[in-house]
Amino acid sequence: MSTQQPVLQLQNLVRVHGSGATEVHALRGIDLAVHPGELVAVMGPSGSGKSTLLTIAGGLDMPTSGRVIVENTDITTAGLKELAALRRRSIGYVFQDYNLIPALTAAENVALPRELDGVSARKARVEALAALEEMSLGHLADRFPDEMSGGQQQRVAIARALVGDRRLVLADEPTGALDSETGESVLALLRSRCDAGAAGVLVTHEPRFAAWADRVVFLRDGAIVDQTVRSEADSLLTGQGQGPSWGQVAER
Amino acid sequence: MKTWFHSWRAAIRIARRDAWRAKGRSALVLAMIALPILGVSAFDLTYRSSELSPAEQMDRSIGAADARFLDARMGGVPLLQTPEGDNYAPAKDTGDGAWPTGPTDLDRAVPRGASVLTDSTGSARLTTRHGLLQAEVRELQAGDPVARGIMTLLDGRHPGKPDEVMATSHFLKTSGLTVGSTVSARNFDRPYRIVGSYELPDELESLQINALPGAFLAPYAKAVEKSGLPAPESSTSYLVRHRGGFTWNTVQQINAMGVVVMSRAVVLDPPADSEVPLYKKEGWGNYGTSAAANAAELAAAGTVVGLAMLEIGLLAGPAFAVGARRSRRQLGLVGANGGARSHIRAIVLSGGLVIGVAAALVGTVLALILTLALEPYLEELMGQRFGAFDIRPLELLGIALIAVLTGLLAAVVPAVTASRQTVLASLTGRRGVRRSSRVLPLVGLGALLLGGTIALYGSVMSDEFMIVAGGSAIAELGVVAMTPALVGLFGRLGRWLPLAPRLALRDAVRNRGRTAPAVAAVLAAVAGTVAVSTYGASRDAQSRAEYEAMLPHGAVSAVVLEEGGRDVPAVREAVERNLPVDVRADVERVQVGKLGCPPWGGGPGCGRYELVVPKANECPLYVRVPGGGDASEKYAPEQRRKLLTEDWRCEQNGNGGNMHVEGGLLVGDAKLLKVLGIDDAGAEKALAEGKIVTFHRPLIDRNGTLGIKRVTDTVAADKAMEKGLPAPGEVSPIPAYLVRGEPTSYGLQALMTPATAKAAGLTTVPYGSYFSTDRMPDEEQRQKLDAELAKLGGSAEVHVETGFTDESSIVLLSLAVFAGLVTIGAAAIATGLAQADAEADLKTLAAVGAPPRVRRTLSGFQCGVVATMGVVLGSAAGVLPAMGLRLTEERQEIRFHEEALAEGWSLDVTPPYVPIVIPWETLAVLLVAVPLGAALLAALVTRSRGAVARRAVT
Repeated sequence: MSTQQPVLQLQNLVRVHGSGATEVHALRGIDLAVHPGELVAVMGPSGSGKSTLLTIAGGLDMPTSGRVIVENTDITTAGLKELAALRRRSIGYVFQDYNLIPALTAAENVALPRELDGVSARKARVEALAALEEMSLGHLADRFPDEMSGGQQQRVAIARALVGDRRLVLADEPTGALDSETGESVLALLRSRCDAGAAGVLVTHEPRFAAWADRVVFLRDGAIVDQTVRSEADSLLTGQGQGPSWGQVAER
Repeated sequence: MKTWFHSWRAAIRIARRDAWRAKGRSALVLAMIALPILGVSAFDLTYRSSELSPAEQMDRSIGAADARFLDARMGGVPLLQTPEGDNYAPAKDTGDGAWPTGPTDLDRAVPRGASVLTDSTGSARLTTRHGLLQAEVRELQAGDPVARGIMTLLDGRHPGKPDEVMATSHFLKTSGLTVGSTVSARNFDRPYRIVGSYELPDELESLQINALPGAFLAPYAKAVEKSGLPAPESSTSYLVRHRGGFTWNTVQQINAMGVVVMSRAVVLDPPADSEVPLYKKEGWGNYGTSAAANAAELAAAGTVVGLAMLEIGLLAGPAFAVGARRSRRQLGLVGANGGARSHIRAIVLSGGLVIGVAAALVGTVLALILTLALEPYLEELMGQRFGAFDIRPLELLGIALIAVLTGLLAAVVPAVTASRQTVLASLTGRRGVRRSSRVLPLVGLGALLLGGTIALYGSVMSDEFMIVAGGSAIAELGVVAMTPALVGLFGRLGRWLPLAPRLALRDAVRNRGRTAPAVAAVLAAVAGTVAVSTYGASRDAQSRAEYEAMLPHGAVSAVVLEEGGRDVPAVREAVERNLPVDVRADVERVQVGKLGCPPWGGGPGCGRYELVVPKANECPLYVRVPGGGDASEKYAPEQRRKLLTEDWRCEQNGNGGNMHVEGGLLVGDAKLLKVLGIDDAGAEKALAEGKIVTFHRPLIDRNGTLGIKRVTDTVAADKAMEKGLPAPGEVSPIPAYLVRGEPTSYGLQALMTPATAKAAGLTTVPYGSYFSTDRMPDEEQRQKLDAELAKLGGSAEVHVETGFTDESSIVLLSLAVFAGLVTIGAAAIATGLAQADAEADLKTLAAVGAPPRVRRTLSGFQCGVVATMGVVLGSAAGVLPAMGLRLTEERQEIRFHEEALAEGWSLDVTPPYVPIVIPWETLAVLLVAVPLGAALLAALVTRSRGAVARRAVT
């Protein structure tokens, strides 16, 4: 674990949906910190609050109480505009599927957060191409999403999540719609980005994929029931799937 | 600023690609916006091109001359004219008296050193391949350089010899003649060879032939006079060329000699209004353009454009909403990647911008191409050649801008709606029922109340149409704004409906954001249609009630006024041959003066006659006052009213009819009474006894006779009239018989037999015939007759009494069709939107075991629900303002009627009839057929099997 300042900090996070008879406690006092270079996997059964955790961490939803601190900013007190700006500059999202905007090419998709931020189209494209090259995706730059495979789309989405100075990737089942081999390659890329200094939170229900993480957080009924660091997770998951060794990037 | 620009660029890129991906929807919206733009741009191009510059106008009317000198026919008295020379008046005030008459010496006005080309025109009935054709005869040396620009030679050459003419292409087409044929005129035995064809660029439809000066008009006039007919009239103007042209000062000097001048120099550089003495005369003014009229025109145009934009916006709006809804996940992704609400708005608005710009481009370019390609047809249609093809970039840009604005307008509501969604809801596809804005319906209610009050005030208190129309327009906009709230009211009906319509109605009501614009679009179109239809139907009913038959139903009259009834036998024969006639009553008319004189005199050697009203029988309101003046001024309004409505002397006897003779006096026999449906045994007996039969009691004097006064000197008679004295003339008293019971006599006031007329010393000429028919002549028979009569050169006047035929039904029908199309279009768009939304419901339905056809039924009902709500609201919103307008009209007509009675103006004394008629047929079509059709159509085009259900993203 790093001694650096955490990129993401969740403090006593509570989220209650509805009220009265329909009241549902999605999160009950979550505390979590994610540091640069760290990939945290969040696991748990359906309805345990995994996705809620991720949406609140990215400012797409607001907690009922508690604090969410991203890069030293408490986003629970930020306005809509500030939140949007934060998503442009600090937080990247990767969802299960349909991550890319069908009307834009890979490069334009990656450049989008920068362009929305007011960077000129040319400069944004240069940055996007650089990001794609860095992840060995340069050859996809001018393809539209419907001209790419699912795995390629997810990798472009990761590139977009980290373009510019963004250091936090929130990935919600990024491999859910992929076959296992492609899924591995996507996770390998995510792992490599974290090794390069980004902080990542990965929601998954496949232990095999969780094995890529430095730390696995188990959620049940909105509360953290268990945490394992990498070595423990390794042993924990032995026999359920042979996790590849760190740093190995497998391309399909 | 720069940041703003870059993020908009990204938005536009997304919108552009999206528009391209959804080609069908984009094309639909593009067409909706581009079509009106195409129409307006094409109109602008056509209008501007056909609008000639003053220089072009001058070329066409005076050729290469510096001025045209026109005879004002005021005997050479000094006059004042407008700079264009299109209007003039004597310089000296003539009071109430008539203007001086008489020819003017044009030569006197021509300055020394100027060259003159004469241009004369008259008319003649020319012989053609088919018969006779009334045409203009011109004598202009068309080959002279001075005349260049007036006539365009199309074929052949200019006439070079006195027996040669050239003819307009329209004349050749109409007459069936060609270059090389010969043409002559009736009563004229000299043949002319047609050596060329030409056109007048300003009057492509003109029937004209052109001969050398002096070659046609003068010999023709002589020949006509020789045959005992009055000589035809012709006029001559001078095309004058003079060094330095004619300035406004010179023009005014020439005006002093009684000559009107159309000067190129003055037209190209007109003097200020203050320098035009004519405008300073009482009753004159430069009415061309007043600021108020301009403002009113501008306001009207602005309203029309605004309403059209609103309607298109309402129609296209749902399409953008569909687009936004379909790409909800995409918008969510943008949000997840840091797109703020403004970015989401920008993306959806860019959709409108992209389509708007494309529509502007397509519309403008197509308008240019079409106008250019159709130029010859447009010129034929307008009857004049264009000047230069006139493209006004600023105007076209302005029109194009309207397209862009319309596109943006249509996307505003969807953009705001889309941006209000949370990113999470967009990403997960979660559907929440969004509360529609409460402000808009409140504003709408305000507008409705305000507009309604204004319109109510207009219809109940005033008789100003504008107040009612303006109030109605405001109220209508209010109703449109209230649509979301009104749609909510329909939701309560849902409880009693079966599953599919209930689901459709609930869905429509719960998703007002998409239902309301479509309903509003239908509402606006239907309201307009219903308003116009109601008004039109009411007008029709009024016209039907006010219609005055000229003859009994099915009867035919055929009369000839010209040349002493020379064509009467031919006309009678033609009518008998072509129409199913039964009884034929031949009639003659009394003629005073030369044989060829028209009724009411006119021309040298022509007189007229009067039916004398004995002094004792004159209506006190109309008694002639010596020295002029109004007899009715002696009476109070109430007295006038009483005289008009109760005194027999003031009774009008003019129940319809179209007698073209003085006093409605005809010479004929009892057959005429039969044709006119007048059954009076006494009248027949009286005719046989040599009496004159009359329908107008005041014409009979104490001795039981009716006097016919022959006025031979019309000039002396006019002078006496001015002084309020009776016209001088010899009176023939004839024993009279009055037909009692006031039968409808169709304008006939008196009838006597030829023998009676002869005995009274009156000359008669053939006038024509009245026919009764076995059955109503059909269209084919009438067209055949028209064609035969046309060969006589149009001298016969034929009337077939077919009763009232309403002309507005076609307009009403096309309006109903238009509203129907808008309704179906709007409902279809709304249905498409509902379908896009309802996918999840349909999957649920399928999962609980609903058969596949439920999908069809549901979409049918969704479409039907939107259409029904629109037409129900629209019909209500349309009927009321039309009723308001009618009430205003009724009040106005009653006021006019009362005023007329009070002033003592003779008028129909029955009070005006202003009914309000609801066009039930149109309403039925709109209320029943259109929603039903829309529903069936939607059901038909919906696939009953949806895509295989897939678990949505959680």
